[in-house]
Amino acid sequence: MIEEFREYRRRRHQAAIAWKEENKGKVVGTLCCCVPEEIIHAAGMLPVRILGEHEETTEAALHFSTNLCPYCKSCFDQALKGSYDYLDGLVIPNVCNMVKAMYGFSKHLLKIPYIYFLEVPQRLSGNGVDFFSKELVRFKESLEGFSGKEISSQALRYSVRVYNENRALLRRLYDLRRRSPPLVSGSEAQELVISSMLMSKELHNWRLAQLLERIQPRNDEARQGIRLFLSASVLDDTDFLRLIEECGGMVVADDMPMGSRYFFGAVDPRGAPLHALADRYLNKIACPRKMLPQARLTFAVRMMKDSNVKGVIIHNMRACDPHLYEYPLLKEKLESEGLPVLFFRGEETETEREQQRSDIKAFVEMLEG
Amino acid sequence: MLVAGVDVGARNVSAVILQDGHIVASGILTLAGEGAVASREAITQALKKTAFAFADLRCVVATGCGASSVPFAHRQSAEVVCQARGTFWLLPSARTVLNLGAESSRAIRVGASGRVEAFAKNDRCAAGSGLFLETMSRVLEVPLAEMGDLSLKANGWEEVSSICAVFAESEVISHVHRGVPRERILAGVHKAVASRILETLGKVGIKSDVVATGGVAKNKAVVRELEGQIRLGITVPAEPQLVGALGAALAAQEQVARS
Amino acid sequence: MVTSTSARKALKTTLEVPTLRRSYYARTLDESQKGKKVAWCSNNIPSEVLDAMDVTSVFLENYATVIAAKRLASAFCAAGEKVGFSQDVCGYARMLMGYILARDQVPEAPYGGLAKPDFLLVNSYSCDSRLGWFAAMSRALNIPLHVHDAPHQPDGASDSAINADYTERELRGLVAFLEEQTGARFNPERLRKRLDLSRQTSDIMFEINELRKAVPCPMGSADMFTAVWPAMYMAGTKECEDFYSKLRAEVEEKIAKGIGVVPEEKFRLMWSGIPFWYNMSLLNYVEDFGGVVVIEGFYRSRERRLRAQDDDPIRDMALSSTRQRGWPATIINSIDDVLDAVKEYRINGVVLSFNPSCRLSYVSQMELQRSLEEQGIPTLGLECDMADERTYSEGQVKTRLDAFVERLLAKA
Repeated sequence: MIEEFREYRRRRHQAAIAWKEENKGKVVGTLCCCVPEEIIHAAGMLPVRILGEHEETTEAALHFSTNLCPYCKSCFDQALKGSYDYLDGLVIPNVCNMVKAMYGFSKHLLKIPYIYFLEVPQRLSGNGVDFFSKELVRFKESLEGFSGKEISSQALRYSVRVYNENRALLRRLYDLRRRSPPLVSGSEAQELVISSMLMSKELHNWRLAQLLERIQPRNDEARQGIRLFLSASVLDDTDFLRLIEECGGMVVADDMPMGSRYFFGAVDPRGAPLHALADRYLNKIACPRKMLPQARLTFAVRMMKDSNVKGVIIHNMRACDPHLYEYPLLKEKLESEGLPVLFFRGEETETEREQQRSDIKAFVEMLEG
Repeated sequence: MLVAGVDVGARNVSAVILQDGHIVASGILTLAGEGAVASREAITQALKKTAFAFADLRCVVATGCGASSVPFAHRQSAEVVCQARGTFWLLPSARTVLNLGAESSRAIRVGASGRVEAFAKNDRCAAGSGLFLETMSRVLEVPLAEMGDLSLKANGWEEVSSICAVFAESEVISHVHRGVPRERILAGVHKAVASRILETLGKVGIKSDVVATGGVAKNKAVVRELEGQIRLGITVPAEPQLVGALGAALAAQEQVARS
Repeated sequence: MVTSTSARKALKTTLEVPTLRRSYYARTLDESQKGKKVAWCSNNIPSEVLDAMDVTSVFLENYATVIAAKRLASAFCAAGEKVGFSQDVCGYARMLMGYILARDQVPEAPYGGLAKPDFLLVNSYSCDSRLGWFAAMSRALNIPLHVHDAPHQPDGASDSAINADYTERELRGLVAFLEEQTGARFNPERLRKRLDLSRQTSDIMFEINELRKAVPCPMGSADMFTAVWPAMYMAGTKECEDFYSKLRAEVEEKIAKGIGVVPEEKFRLMWSGIPFWYNMSLLNYVEDFGGVVVIEGFYRSRERRLRAQDDDPIRDMALSSTRQRGWPATIINSIDDVLDAVKEYRINGVVLSFNPSCRLSYVSQMELQRSLEEQGIPTLGLECDMADERTYSEGQVKTRLDAFVERLLAKA
């Protein structure tokens, strides 16, 4: 059953085009999980997370140097190659130097009709939520202009409910990973989360609920892998998780945007929807960009303990400043908790894979011994 | 009980034969051609110093970057684990192992029981490796084995500042053209190599006793530089290139003992 | 290996900067000893506000360039890497982390070191990476960090009342933080005075930059990369205004006498990106061939600053900063900005520095270069870190500069 979700991801472009035809709707891409997708959903559009591909960024290489976020570069490369020609819109939040730059580059080099820059504040408390609420009003109005239709408060509440339901289902899924052995592997879990970022939320809710009802414990050798925690920046390369499994490890919990950070923390269904969205998206995502490292650490360490992990793999994309600056602190904290750490600076190249294999094998052997 | 460990590195293959927990033979071959053939050859040649044959081996464990190319190995063991095991057997007070190889260096922290606590690798940068020293040997026309001793005779050093091995090479060439004495240049090269190595070491933390293994550990000047920079003494085993194979052989022994 | 360092200056006034700078740092140490609160700041923190509250401001990025100019940066960077900060992150950040956490492993810091900070101030707009760096410093030094936020406004100036309102609240938040830290009350009049002076100074700077359009060019980037310093760190002081008045007078004199940086200009260049602080003499390299680096992209402004937007100085600052943006925040604006400069300053070629650890500038350079070439403007890209000279190869750089000069002379 999980195969279906994996397949959707592989065929995501065709699937999005099919959705457009069937629903006569617009597809709007996002570059970070701090964009309140509910608003896009409430506008009757399909929000999709933009993803890269594990291939040479031959087109992007003409416009971008090497020491830059490989994820953004790969996404842009796909856009230049035409994979995202069906995209009607793109929403780019104020998160880091590279993503911010994507706004200008998209306007400059791509033919996407609607490109919106979302002003996400650094201020997380009262003033910040207040400003972000007003920004979300502007965003909503902008989408209304683009779609030609009003987005009602009712529609927003409905979207919040649908998204909260998805969050709850994914939480249940993650709970199943706490068991020994976990009911879904690390790579399977990521496929399920990423497919949620791509599919219509109602469809994902339905299929995921079915899956959760039917899931059975499996006792294959892979599932016996050494229990690991994965802390990562943008890591959409599920093959990395499969590699860990091949080397005798098993990721049972994570702290990463293509994982728990996407869905942990529900939107408060009471109160004004835009305000509730502003609050959730500012305050409930434990991301280095939020500059609350203690909160992120506490969250991560609790997850590690709940999941009974033996070691931690940290994967930071090269040039990912928010994560790289917090790395020394994270490492120190983990070591003080007695958790061995294996660090990767990701580049998403082929040669890297073999190095990763030998390091992970050594790490697993070290933890087993 | 006869077991063997074989370490298939980037440059050399080494083998260690253990009989009932004692080293009875060992050998190093320069890697030429396939790892499978070379590893068999390394073991066979080592066995010639004993009364035994290949068939007498109860268990063989392979390690090193080419470990997967050894078809007759009963299992593979990670380099860092073998380096730690081998070092700890030679020196139970060892707490940090610096394995300085041809293509990469790794730093390994070892616990009081001999288990690996943490490790870090530098495989990205050529400037801290044996291959870089080989290049310098060619450029400066000094045999590799003599570089350390010659460098220690120098009066001061000539700065080799570049992080990149390619740039460093052109820097060294420009020093040669300027007529700087080779010892001084070598001293600068060794300083730079030590700095690159220490960037990796810094990631696991240094704890005494520190042991250096691998081919580059035979270069006295590099070891002296490292000692100076970490302000701790470094022990180099008599045969630093055999430590990995020794660790693998110990793993083989353990495997037989357990079965 | 770098063989040369500071740039040869064309103007006498520029030579006063090192003294001004040295006395600035000495003053910060002195004030700190006398009990004034010291704030370590990122660039763009409005020093006028701190001055008005008798808080001593120390700008770290500038101190990093001083370390680099004194050829000490690599040791500081290496120390920062040793304590866990990746080579990918900002060179300035690595240096300061090395300075803080590995003091025994770095050479003696210039000017007697930095005054000990009581708190940290970082702003989030322009460069995002600084946030992580300042947070790391806050942990390492165990002192409070205040983040000063503002909307990004990538498309430039905005009339939005929402943006202005938020910016104003942030400024008031900054004031409240300073009041809490110092125990003093904010006096708006003191700020108003400094803002007025600051505006006057920026007017003079703007005029100087306009004068630099003259042929022959009276003052080039070799001077301005140094001369811009007081405006960045001593804004709103009489000293600062006096300096620029003097500078303007000297530039006017050069123009009147027809004296250019080079007597016979063969080609005029623009420098885009951050220069290599450990080798500023590169800016003079082309002078021997009759070339001059006329203008730089990173610090110049295209228009005069807005007049006061409100009587209340805080509200004035909020409105001014949302209604006018000093720097191009998208690739489109960057390209436009350079094309404008090429036209206005009669530029024949553009040198682009690619500083891998300065993500903010680095992200645009390749596309900027490509776009310029597409428009028929000759360009040269030089990839080195702006502070860490371990990444620099003098031979390579000079070879490429020679080839570029050849290309320009052939076209001339």
